[in-house]
Amino acid sequence: MDALRDALGSADPLPPAPALPPIPAPPARVYTPRPEKSAFAAQAARHTTALVGIGHVGTRYATDVVLQFQAELAVAHAAVGAELPDGWAEHNGFVGVRSRVTSHREFLLRPDLGRRLDEASLETVRTRCTRNPDVQVIVADGLSAVACTQTGKALHDAVVRACAARGLSTGTPIAARFARVWLEDEIGQEVGAKVAMILLGERPGLGTGDGLSAYVVYGPKIGNTDGERNMISNIHARGIVPDDAAVRLAALAAAMIDQKCSGVTLDLGRLGEVAGGRGYRAPQVRQRLVEHDR
Amino acid sequence: MQLASTIRGTRYRFGSVTEVLAKANPPKSGDDLAGISARDAVERVAARAVLANLTLRELRENPVVPYEQDELTRLVEDELDDQAYKAVAHLTVGQFREWLLDIDTAGPTLRAVAPGLTPEMAAAASKLMSNFDLMTVGAKCQVVVRANSTLGLPGRLSSRCQPNHPTDDVEGILASAREGLAYGCGDAVIGINPATDTAESTAEILRAIDDLLSRNRCPTQHCVLSHVTVQMKALELGCPMDLMFQSVAGTEAANKAFGISASLLQEGYELIQAKGTAKGPNRMYFETGQGSALSSAAHHGADQVTIEARAYGLARRYKPFLVNTVVGFIGPEYLEDGPQISRAALEDHFMGKLLGLPMGCDACFTYHASMTQDELESLKVLLGAAGCTYLMSLPVGDDIMLNYQSTSYHDIPTLRRLLHKRPTPEFDAWLDEVGIWRGDGPGPRFGDVEAVR
Repeated sequence: MDALRDALGSADPLPPAPALPPIPAPPARVYTPRPEKSAFAAQAARHTTALVGIGHVGTRYATDVVLQFQAELAVAHAAVGAELPDGWAEHNGFVGVRSRVTSHREFLLRPDLGRRLDEASLETVRTRCTRNPDVQVIVADGLSAVACTQTGKALHDAVVRACAARGLSTGTPIAARFARVWLEDEIGQEVGAKVAMILLGERPGLGTGDGLSAYVVYGPKIGNTDGERNMISNIHARGIVPDDAAVRLAALAAAMIDQKCSGVTLDLGRLGEVAGGRGYRAPQVRQRLVEHDR
Repeated sequence: MQLASTIRGTRYRFGSVTEVLAKANPPKSGDDLAGISARDAVERVAARAVLANLTLRELRENPVVPYEQDELTRLVEDELDDQAYKAVAHLTVGQFREWLLDIDTAGPTLRAVAPGLTPEMAAAASKLMSNFDLMTVGAKCQVVVRANSTLGLPGRLSSRCQPNHPTDDVEGILASAREGLAYGCGDAVIGINPATDTAESTAEILRAIDDLLSRNRCPTQHCVLSHVTVQMKALELGCPMDLMFQSVAGTEAANKAFGISASLLQEGYELIQAKGTAKGPNRMYFETGQGSALSSAAHHGADQVTIEARAYGLARRYKPFLVNTVVGFIGPEYLEDGPQISRAALEDHFMGKLLGLPMGCDACFTYHASMTQDELESLKVLLGAAGCTYLMSLPVGDDIMLNYQSTSYHDIPTLRRLLHKRPTPEFDAWLDEVGIWRGDGPGPRFGDVEAVR
């Protein structure tokens, strides 16, 4: 054993550390690829928001890339963790309802409870909401209360205007807390709407915590499947703007009432580009989030 | 068959093998959602004690979905290798776990026994194993497959390059794919999830990737992950296609929700064998993930680990080149947080390898699951150490179409350096020739997209 220790070096098993050479600052590497610095980045930026051309330090990211990445991640997580403020619905002219979910964690873990109204809300819908509208519009938190508070009211109002322009009635404005998509089935069924339309915060992506999705179903009733719904996603200022989304949504609702169906069986051919297909998603635009104060 | 055990004087009785398997499962939010998990940690151990004394024969005789109700059960039962089965049928699950962990039980033996194992046996063993147990056995399994390149050799860690795009812009896909290759990613496959599920779009993307690979004489495989029926149409259009993809689940009913059946997969398999462009015999690519059966209410009261193993039982019929579990994609209602996602990844890798599959893993999370970026990076190291055949790779790990976080173009070379792993031999030689990767480190053209024309 002593011989083995000797072979590894008598006192210090490592040779002395070398004298430090001068350490120059590395060249600047930035998160948003600089089209002016690289023909590849310029070409790629015209076609994709994927983060290509960002370089590397060793096999890892530059510091600026790390910070921007962490900022995007934090924005997404903050959007998921946010809840609708108390009184938000009433303050914005909505009748407020909630699902059977009682806490944010339960909301994430029990989609079944997020699909049904609690007893008080069921009573609210039965007593305070206009019956038999053409379209029942519901705004909801879904997986991003941030998206709901930022864009929910504007999108709702735009949808009401777009429906009115087509002669469709929209009933009592409803805002729902801890809501999953299928909650529109019970609400629509209770008010006897021809079409139910829920506008809710979508699952955030990196740096995009503020997108709303709209799910539309004809003849809403508990037990509707996803195949019976049409949807439009990525509704926010940098995606599909609320006014454009509203025109598409009203066109979808009108087509459903006309054809008496929705989802896979709805013929979108006659709608053309206005409805944007069964599931339309415009590309997102990437933003720089971290600015260094000088 | 004894379905009861006693802990500190309290007797725990279970009604069926399915219930024992479910309650023996480590905590998973999906099993809670299904209402089938153990009520507390003690009942969980009681179920494990029962499971440890069941024999593999009893597991074969009690599949979690009855033979009469499910084609997957029938296929597994009818096609089981009887000689391999007889070698281990007498072992209890507890003995089977010990046999798997024994140093003398080496890769070739595990390869020989694989065709005699039912999915329920692999799932049962996993429930008695810790993360280290799962990694130890996973690392011993030998599964080597061949298409244009040779995947799964010892000391190798491969990656799928996943240059997805929200509107299938081919120039955008190519830019991302070139960047991935410049970081040494993509030796398992260049695989694109299309936004538009049409044969024309599938064919257009495949032609573009095929041109990229032949222009650079790059030895890997390509695949567009549209529905199998769409790929079959694209193949009939005469486009190049190395691998044929399909998502699969662990019950006939869940697969019906995916729009597939064993006979449809057989058709796809025969078509890609006849018309596919890969040089080798392994030409199918499957993706799975715990919880998919429950999400279509097709789980028959069984837990999500056992149902996941049954998906592998289906996949192995078609001698796939790639199988991976998209472990964190399904969301927190099935796998709540970092520990659950990490555990599931190691379980799936173990079960798949034990059943003879070239298992990879999409180590990932959605932004509403409770997993941190650091936990995800740790999981990639665990998988690499467990001998996981391949991981994914995307720019900064960010899928701009599917909105989730996976492995990045930078993570793959990092892991190869940390774990002393190499890409497939064919791809390794190409990287050396182009100057992207030399030996165990970056070459002069590493990260230089202009090196890939």
